[in-house]
Amino acid sequence: MTAWNYPPDVHLLADLGVEIDADEERTAARIPVTPELLGPDGGVHAGVIATLVDIVGGVIAVRVLHPDWMATADMSLQVVRPATGPVLEAQGTVVRHGRTTLVLEVFVFDVPDDGEPVAWSTLTFAVLPRAADAPEPDDLPGLPRRSVFGPAQLAVHVLEAVSIADAGGAEGMTMPVGDYVRNTIGGLQGGVVALFAEVAGARAVAAALGTGRPSVAVELQVSYIALGRVGPMVARVRSVTADPTTGSGRGVVELRDAGADDRLTTVVAVGAVSA
Amino acid sequence: MTEVLRPAGHEVGAYFRFERWELPPPAGAEGPSGFAGRAPIDPHQRGPGGGLATGGLLTCIDSMGGLLCGLAVLPKWIVTGSLSVQVLRIRQVGPLGFHGRLLRQGRNSVVCSVDVVDEGDGGAPVAEAVVTCAVLDPGGMALDFVRPLTVPMPPPVPDPVGVEAFFGIEPGEGPVTRLQLDDRLRNPWGILHGGAVATLVDVAARRAAAGPDEGDLATTGVVVHYLSPLRVGPVEARCTLVGSRADGSVVRVALHDTGAADRLAALASVTVRAV
Repeated sequence: MTAWNYPPDVHLLADLGVEIDADEERTAARIPVTPELLGPDGGVHAGVIATLVDIVGGVIAVRVLHPDWMATADMSLQVVRPATGPVLEAQGTVVRHGRTTLVLEVFVFDVPDDGEPVAWSTLTFAVLPRAADAPEPDDLPGLPRRSVFGPAQLAVHVLEAVSIADAGGAEGMTMPVGDYVRNTIGGLQGGVVALFAEVAGARAVAAALGTGRPSVAVELQVSYIALGRVGPMVARVRSVTADPTTGSGRGVVELRDAGADDRLTTVVAVGAVSA
Repeated sequence: MTEVLRPAGHEVGAYFRFERWELPPPAGAEGPSGFAGRAPIDPHQRGPGGGLATGGLLTCIDSMGGLLCGLAVLPKWIVTGSLSVQVLRIRQVGPLGFHGRLLRQGRNSVVCSVDVVDEGDGGAPVAEAVVTCAVLDPGGMALDFVRPLTVPMPPPVPDPVGVEAFFGIEPGEGPVTRLQLDDRLRNPWGILHGGAVATLVDVAARRAAAGPDEGDLATTGVVVHYLSPLRVGPVEARCTLVGSRADGSVVRVALHDTGAADRLAALASVTVRAV
């Protein structure tokens, strides 16, 4: 699987209905906002926004780093108000292109927009030098300037689509690693990783607040340590604190690949507020 | 990590007092060392929330993370690429206890976590951090350590001054905060100490988010991308308020080296809240 034939027809990114426009001046990715993407506050799940951010970042990285390849190393996401659409657009730019890393910045807007972002993200890609014996990829013109995955056709809520299951309690969340959510190199797609951690972190904050109301993740700091390849993925909440005066809390979630010797794959700090 | 290379006269390391010691793997076992450490909260270094000023917290985390990652890649060395910190408790008794462990060691990068607890408050969690470092050739830098490495606690600072006074941080016009790149703030590589960068980010973000009628603000989440060394100065922290929500305000902080063609040297995402 390469960027040139990704995603397959049956894939989350296809079901989200992603549209990408990319050229040397501007790179943007869009999805229609549907009820299947919304969290308890009526806004798009932070993890879905992270997925859109990861897509636009990946498209930029492929162009900038060609013929080398890349892996997402870290992502910070700040959601500053509920994203309601009707269309969500992420616009990315390069902050720094170094020898071993590429740092990007992505702003996310409701479309039509009022000029104010609904979310802001920074992310770092690690540069993976192309192996000497790897086939030479097509020249960049082989990457279309406009790509459309889809059409958007999620039949169930996105958390159900990726099979996030709660076995009970904030630390009992699991998610399988199937072809539906893999990235171009066979691991769990970075945005889906964020979505899983988001849900685990927000539920832990809600439990710590103890009001019975759900919480919504508004801040994610994702550190990608290793790819989730086998599954199921297991989310464990390392620590959580709650502030009843603001109805908010913060926690740290570790994701492990239970099918790969319980390997630590991701550390995610989550900030959440009551819906 | 740099103060350990030249402890005497390195003033940032002497200002934020921090002892730490290497935790080698058990006899006969293979694997990287961990690190433990302890920092007092000197009265003049307490921040608006009552705990160690966030700049000091970030300095200690960066110091331990850099040392941990650097020792893992000897005879090469590292430079911090990004720092992600979740502050779970802003009121602290002190002293603070630190524990660092290696999460991943790759050819080009090393990742570690640093957990901070309040030893004066029953070990309550204070912060959790992930530090990502890029591996580099140390050139002529002497890296001759006695292992296991111990860095003793510096003595209390005579005639102590507050954090902003020590670092020479001054308000600029509007949402801009400035720092003169004094020689005493340089690390042995001749560039602005990472702790000074983090302190400037913290002070600038809180200042930018503070309205005229608001009280003190404390930083609860920080992600810093270190993009290029700060060598000339003055350094300007240019802040943008991205948005506000129940748990506080989100500030984008861009650090520019005004004496080096205004180069963008660091980009940070900061969440601040009223205390």
